[in-house]
Amino acid sequence: MQYQIEHGPAFAWLRVALDPNERIVAEAGAMVRQSTSLQVETRLNASRSGGVFALIIAFFVALMRRLLGGETMFLNEFSGPQGGEVVLAPKLSGQIVKKTLDGTRTLFVQTGGYLASTSDIDTRLRFGGLRTLFGGEGLMLLQCTGRGDVFVNSYGGVTEVAVDGSFIVDTGHIVAFDGALDFRVRSIGGAKSFLFSGEGLVCEFQGRGTVYVQSRNLKALVGWLSPLLPS
Amino acid sequence: MRYEILDAPNFGLLKLTLNTDDKVVAESGAMVAMGAAVHVETKMRGGLLAAAKRKLLGGESLFQNTFVARAPAQELYLAPPVEGDLLVRELARGETFFLQSGNYLAHVGDELVLDTKWGGVRSFFGGVGFFMLKIVGPGTLFYGSYGAIHEVPIGAGGYTCDTGHIVGFSDGLEYRVRTFGGFKGLFFSGEGLVCDFTGSGSLFIQTRKSASLAAFLHPFRRVQQRGN
Amino acid sequence: MHFEVHYRPAHSLAIAHLQPDESVRAEASAMVSMTSNLSITTDGPVGGRGGLLKSFKRAMLGGETFFTNTFTARGAPGHVTLAPTLSGDMLAIDVRQGEPLYIQGSSYVAAPDSVEIDTRWQGLKGFFSGESLFFLEASGEGQVLVNAFGAIESYDLDGDVIIDTGHLVAFGAGIEYEVTKASRGWIASFLSGEGLVLRMRGRGRVYLQSRNPKEYGTKVGSELPPREG
Repeated sequence: MQYQIEHGPAFAWLRVALDPNERIVAEAGAMVRQSTSLQVETRLNASRSGGVFALIIAFFVALMRRLLGGETMFLNEFSGPQGGEVVLAPKLSGQIVKKTLDGTRTLFVQTGGYLASTSDIDTRLRFGGLRTLFGGEGLMLLQCTGRGDVFVNSYGGVTEVAVDGSFIVDTGHIVAFDGALDFRVRSIGGAKSFLFSGEGLVCEFQGRGTVYVQSRNLKALVGWLSPLLPS
Repeated sequence: MRYEILDAPNFGLLKLTLNTDDKVVAESGAMVAMGAAVHVETKMRGGLLAAAKRKLLGGESLFQNTFVARAPAQELYLAPPVEGDLLVRELARGETFFLQSGNYLAHVGDELVLDTKWGGVRSFFGGVGFFMLKIVGPGTLFYGSYGAIHEVPIGAGGYTCDTGHIVGFSDGLEYRVRTFGGFKGLFFSGEGLVCDFTGSGSLFIQTRKSASLAAFLHPFRRVQQRGN
Repeated sequence: MHFEVHYRPAHSLAIAHLQPDESVRAEASAMVSMTSNLSITTDGPVGGRGGLLKSFKRAMLGGETFFTNTFTARGAPGHVTLAPTLSGDMLAIDVRQGEPLYIQGSSYVAAPDSVEIDTRWQGLKGFFSGESLFFLEASGEGQVLVNAFGAIESYDLDGDVIIDTGHLVAFGAGIEYEVTKASRGWIASFLSGEGLVLRMRGRGRVYLQSRNPKEYGTKVGSELPPREG
């Protein structure tokens, strides 16, 4: 498989050239252009090691989020006996970064930051309960393991921060982070600050590892626009 | 204190490196990331009464955060809410700059004055939503734009600009807000206003406008049936 | 009259430079600023086709305005600056006699009088997605200014390819298109997020944008406070 990230840093898209029968998995709705020789199969973003029950829950969650317009947990798999080219793009503006996993590392990706991955990468949804699911609070994370490449997209630019000790990031600005880091979600600076500061929740990272920070935040954009909207 | 502007001009991100007791004041919601030894205080700008009055103007949050470092070499990352550029302006003592309130990001310097009650404050946006801040130095001002910033030198010929595209302008210009002669937009109040500038100075324009984005997104909102 | 595009590709601003008595027609919401010596007239819907009411209704549904303003420089040279609603690039594309350009409705920004803009309503609705296609035909001689959501990618097609409808900006003559489902079934097409796609075939130039306004609108719109029904 060959890939190229083009039109970065503002509007990056991912161009993938697949060999015969090679597969790439992508977030639903990401296709820009594809060769007519490729077929598309849609499947659930459920961990392959989960049982039937996990599959049912994943389907229900995915359908609800799709109907409510949230992130879809359906994935598209592109492949064909002759191979071909597919171009994939994220929904928001920003950059695309490739992370390679060697089977020993875990990468956590915030769900909006997932664009695509190669077929031997396993993705498992991790969330903090039903409120997180529908309320959008806390972190909706994809735990990525296995061998291969994960393509992550950022809203805005990407800054790699090497954490050694302690570091705080607004949850809306997290793209991805090393599984080796400890993380804890809390409100910034005490109860009053949470109500008045305009910052939502923050994630405090401890330990050693890399955090990928994006320079824009969808929740901040929403807060900015809301007073401008008519009822 | 050091600062660096990253990811400009597309997604301007301000990175400050603070030493112990260094202070930065920022618009609420601007914090991206920070070292664990940065302390956050939330203050209402100018007290409760002024804050309540500002709420009537709408569209701008009431609260600012003050960030103070309690240890050396603490990083603080700040970003505006919209995509675009991020600029810095060093203001000398008494130097005046007019800035659209929504473009304000942060400032350093206890003596910098953000005046929301000056004479022309209500005229620019039909009294709804954003308003023009009158900023007087000394101090360091950080501001963003929605889109790129385009500087226009104003001279004898006169220049007209859609008010939603105004970021700021220097002192010494005359301005007049009026409705636009052609067909502009139907959806929101404050649309269809332009400002005629004459005199001598600089006008800073942003190449995108929040009201247009809001109009674009409006049909995509979930519909809530009345009575629910 | 010529177009100059600055701040490419993300936050592009086009400047239409006008000599005295020269004009440019621009989509109504595109004006950012102008020199004070321009006169302005407002024209009805692009291309003059369709009644005022029909265009108005389409404008309400699609969030687009199909009205245009004509700017004319008086007494001295002047300019008007233009920008689209969403972030992204703009490009001035040459149109020549016998070589029209087909532009997706929301991608059109401006053109001089020497380029005629005609509406060709496709009107095909997607089964689940509610997508419809609306193309303008630009013909004549001159430059037409188009916008893209994201970066513009232009390439020469020779053969066939499948394109997501939301990523198409414009294409030249010599290309046919057919609307098809993304996957084999309707339900799969809905779940895949692609809905309807275009199968394009032929030889000619294709212009794509690297972001999809509908995907963006749905994602951000779903996070906004709901509106009254």
